[in-house]
Amino acid sequence: MTKNINLTLKVWRQKGPNVKGRLETYYANDISTDMSFLEMIDVVNEQLTLEDKEPIAFDHDCREGICGMCGAVINGRAHGPEKGTTLCQLHMRHFSDKDVIVIEPWRARAFKIIKDLVVDRSALDTIIQAGGYVSVDTGGAQDANSIAIPQEIAELAMDAAACIGCGACVAACPNASAMLFTSAKISQLALLPQGKPEAALRAIAMVNVMDKLGFGNCTNEKECEAECPKEISIINIARMNREFLKAGLISTVK
Amino acid sequence: MQLDGKVPGGHISEKWDKYRFDLKLVNPSNKRKFNIIVVGTGLAGGSASASLAELGYNVKTFCIQDSPRRAHSIAAQGGINAAKNYPNDGDSTWRLFYDTVKGGDFRSREANVYRLAQVSSNIIDQCVAQGVPFARDYGGLLANRSFGGAQVSRTFYARGQTGQQLLLGAYSALSRQINAGKVTMFPRREMLDLVVINNQARGIIVRNLITGELESHDADAVVLCTGGYVNVFFLSTNAMACNVTAAFRACKKGAFFANPCFTQIHPTCIPMHGTFQSKLTLMSESLRNDGRVWVPKNPGDKRPANQIPESERDYYLENKYPSFGNLVPRDVASRNAKEQCDVGKGVGETGLAVYLDFEEAIKRDGKNVIEKKYGNLFQMYEKITAANPYETPMMIYPAMHYAMGGLWVDYNLMSNLEGLFVLGEANFSDHGANRLGASALMQGLADGYFVIPYTIGGYLAGTSRKDITSDHPAFKDATQAVNTRINKLLSINGKRTVDDFHRELGQTLWNHCGMARNEAGLKKAKEHIKGLREEFWQNVKVPGDEKDFNQSLERAGRVADFLEFSEIMVDDALERKESCGGHFNEAYQTDENEALRDDENFCHVAAWEFKGENNKPEFHKEPLVFENVKLTQRSYK
Amino acid sequence: MAWITETFTTSIGKKILMALTGLSFCGFLTVHLIGNLTLYGGQDLFNAYVEHLHSLGPLIIVFEWGLLLLAIIHILTGSILFFQNLKARPVRYKVNKNAGGRTLGSATMPYTGFILLLFIIFHLLDFHFVDHTTQTVYQIVSNSLSQIGLATVYIFAVVIAAIHISHGFWSLFQTLGANHPKYMPLIKNIGILFSLLIGIGFGFIPIFIAFIA
Repeated sequence: MTKNINLTLKVWRQKGPNVKGRLETYYANDISTDMSFLEMIDVVNEQLTLEDKEPIAFDHDCREGICGMCGAVINGRAHGPEKGTTLCQLHMRHFSDKDVIVIEPWRARAFKIIKDLVVDRSALDTIIQAGGYVSVDTGGAQDANSIAIPQEIAELAMDAAACIGCGACVAACPNASAMLFTSAKISQLALLPQGKPEAALRAIAMVNVMDKLGFGNCTNEKECEAECPKEISIINIARMNREFLKAGLISTVK
Repeated sequence: MQLDGKVPGGHISEKWDKYRFDLKLVNPSNKRKFNIIVVGTGLAGGSASASLAELGYNVKTFCIQDSPRRAHSIAAQGGINAAKNYPNDGDSTWRLFYDTVKGGDFRSREANVYRLAQVSSNIIDQCVAQGVPFARDYGGLLANRSFGGAQVSRTFYARGQTGQQLLLGAYSALSRQINAGKVTMFPRREMLDLVVINNQARGIIVRNLITGELESHDADAVVLCTGGYVNVFFLSTNAMACNVTAAFRACKKGAFFANPCFTQIHPTCIPMHGTFQSKLTLMSESLRNDGRVWVPKNPGDKRPANQIPESERDYYLENKYPSFGNLVPRDVASRNAKEQCDVGKGVGETGLAVYLDFEEAIKRDGKNVIEKKYGNLFQMYEKITAANPYETPMMIYPAMHYAMGGLWVDYNLMSNLEGLFVLGEANFSDHGANRLGASALMQGLADGYFVIPYTIGGYLAGTSRKDITSDHPAFKDATQAVNTRINKLLSINGKRTVDDFHRELGQTLWNHCGMARNEAGLKKAKEHIKGLREEFWQNVKVPGDEKDFNQSLERAGRVADFLEFSEIMVDDALERKESCGGHFNEAYQTDENEALRDDENFCHVAAWEFKGENNKPEFHKEPLVFENVKLTQRSYK
Repeated sequence: MAWITETFTTSIGKKILMALTGLSFCGFLTVHLIGNLTLYGGQDLFNAYVEHLHSLGPLIIVFEWGLLLLAIIHILTGSILFFQNLKARPVRYKVNKNAGGRTLGSATMPYTGFILLLFIIFHLLDFHFVDHTTQTVYQIVSNSLSQIGLATVYIFAVVIAAIHISHGFWSLFQTLGANHPKYMPLIKNIGILFSLLIGIGFGFIPIFIAFIA
């Protein structure tokens, strides 16, 4: 049932990428438990604005858990304590009156802080640009039903393709590794016949670019899988490893 | 002025083929000499950028989010239509064309819609080739489902994330071109003005949302793919950043805004709860395939759903529309829900909701089947409402969802300003007064993959343009104007926040220019908006700095544009003295409360020319000619 | 041949090196444990086993150098990964919380690994690089393990090894790409069983020597 709660927030405030930041304390009073976490921050920001203070900068857009724009680490958990949930879909009914909530941005060398909770995730785009596609120009495609794809394979590909690119896997990984993100795309395209012709090229290119961007290495801690709002499995990382091994040792691609 | 849609001659089924042949071509080696700006990276912008770059043009692409993958197309759930006729149930290009024209209540341009239906099949082929994981049958072929407004199954889907998968397909094609150096990507940029030189669109002014710097970009043509404007209602299913700014700034520079009063209300959204709410969440219309919509028969019945016996339930859509049942078009479903709530039969705490019940479907198909089809939607519903739809019926209520109106474009998708092309939801052309489900994705991709690559070539090869760069005085003037406006917003330092104004504007529009409209209400809204706009410019409080990452400033600029734009929207609603599709004027309805069109006087596109603040925009008419379908009273009985 | 270094210096390549060397150590530990089981059979059986091993001659030398090479690869690669991973998050979180993925084994890999390295050096100094002319190997072992202090060190090290293996075993399969929904649960269970076997099998030896033999 709906009720109102009072919270203490400790929010990371940082003016820009090269300035020191710190946790600042704010009070969020009379917060309805029906609100989403971001609506709670909206309320605090309205209050800060009226008090002549600068509101908390945070990324958000669709507010229905699909665009991947939002994200912060809430009391040490990427996207907060609920499983399979983005921050915008996290509702305040999962918190209790008088809770202290620490809100920090994604932290990784590859994600520079832009301001407060806003980070630069363009590194993820760079990984996709390295090969996260099927090289097919508009117009040349054959009839969609000319290749049958077993339902099981299509479903596995869809499991991987569900990635929203929010970066929670990197934020949650003790090593700030982007393996889950990268593997989701490599997996999706390696599973499907359309992606097979350039699978080797893709695996090598994407892994190399990922490494150059300053992400950490995977040590199979499974925190990424546990925090992924779309619950993408590390089975995809295993598949990527396989694809990479095949590409590196068996294919003729250099 | 009478507008010319430049619809080519010939039989409707041959127009596009013939026209493509007639269009001038740009020599492959010359394409690299042309610069094209694309604003927005949704389905239309992403696919256009990629396709144009593949052809060899130099493309500069801009988006407001931190990555081109996040445009709001991503949130479309249900599916994408195509006249593939894979299920062998009688579909054809002609039927998709007819359904779309009829669904749009005969207020769309026939030739555009036919072309849309024609290329719909190519879209599916293209997306599958890109690796979009559409749902498949056990045999490995593509699966289809049915959707509102159609009696055939022509909707392709990828779980409840079709928009996401299609967008990621376009994004991957775009990423490939970025890697190839053919597209230069500018994320976190907001277009704040269009630069027009010699009546030709030649560039844009954008604000770098990280540094606050204003940047000038010149080009041979500008392609706007900036989505719809229903965030003017504050509460809508659109993403927070969706806005009218780019389109409206183009409008202020001379592009006509067509049919702004045609906004769509989506029938299956999670009902409102509380004043703090920032957005409404839509659940795919595909739910109506298996869910049954009902309310208690007796007004004021407050018993929980499971205690209301079958005999005291009113399955009003099934009763009223036996042949389409729960699958009537969106406008019809929405208006009926409102009707039920207006007579006190609404359910839930606010009484502004109806049930969408899966009990029978679960009994019939088993929980597993339902879970496979709608699992993620059910999960989303439970997350938001903390109620389990497998056990209790969902509660739904209509919400603002899509803008059929948009910048006026001709058959080439070019606005009345030369060199300004408008694609996707940002233009007005294909959906008339109401869009059918699973058609938005189709239109965005049709425009981007299969229309603009041809028509832009025709424009570039067929017109002469001056050699200009962003040093041209027009860019300096535009930058200056943008700068002045930003400083004005920051200097007011009043007492009300931007959201506060926005919420009030939204409430006014929802009450008077929403699901049902009447002249008195619209007039009241117009007065109110005018006052609100004046107050905004005196009393808004925008904290922070100009040269900084400043989200309050971003929102302030968008709301300022919404305030101006909404007056045109209300003007348009006032002027259209009929009911059609999403525009339901209470004075014009049949005995059965259906929308009553006036084809004699209003079978046209209303395109509005901006004439300065506080001046009434000037009306331009594009008559709609229907040669291939007969205008009838829509009936879904 | 640049492709070899290019493949194995990537993040995945390094992981694969860790996995392959780790797999070899699992094999070595198994053989080592089976050999050591002869301790339970008494002095003569054990010495006979040692004798048999030494009679393999050059093979044993190849084996020893091989192990050393594997160890160097495992340790070097592990250290590189450790420092790269530290560097990948220069500013740490103020609040850290486990989402349910990490285990004691996974969270402590570099540290248990480092302890094991120290232990192996000690173990070699204690048993291998000592005077083998005046005493049998059994004597060396029992002299050492009957001291409570040293026995404790051995038991501690074996527990650490078990923890290291509890993550390392399934993890190496994952890294080599052998993660399949049908077989992974089995691999995980075998991993737990294997780490228990190593822990109990080796851990009981000091107790046996100190209190029973």
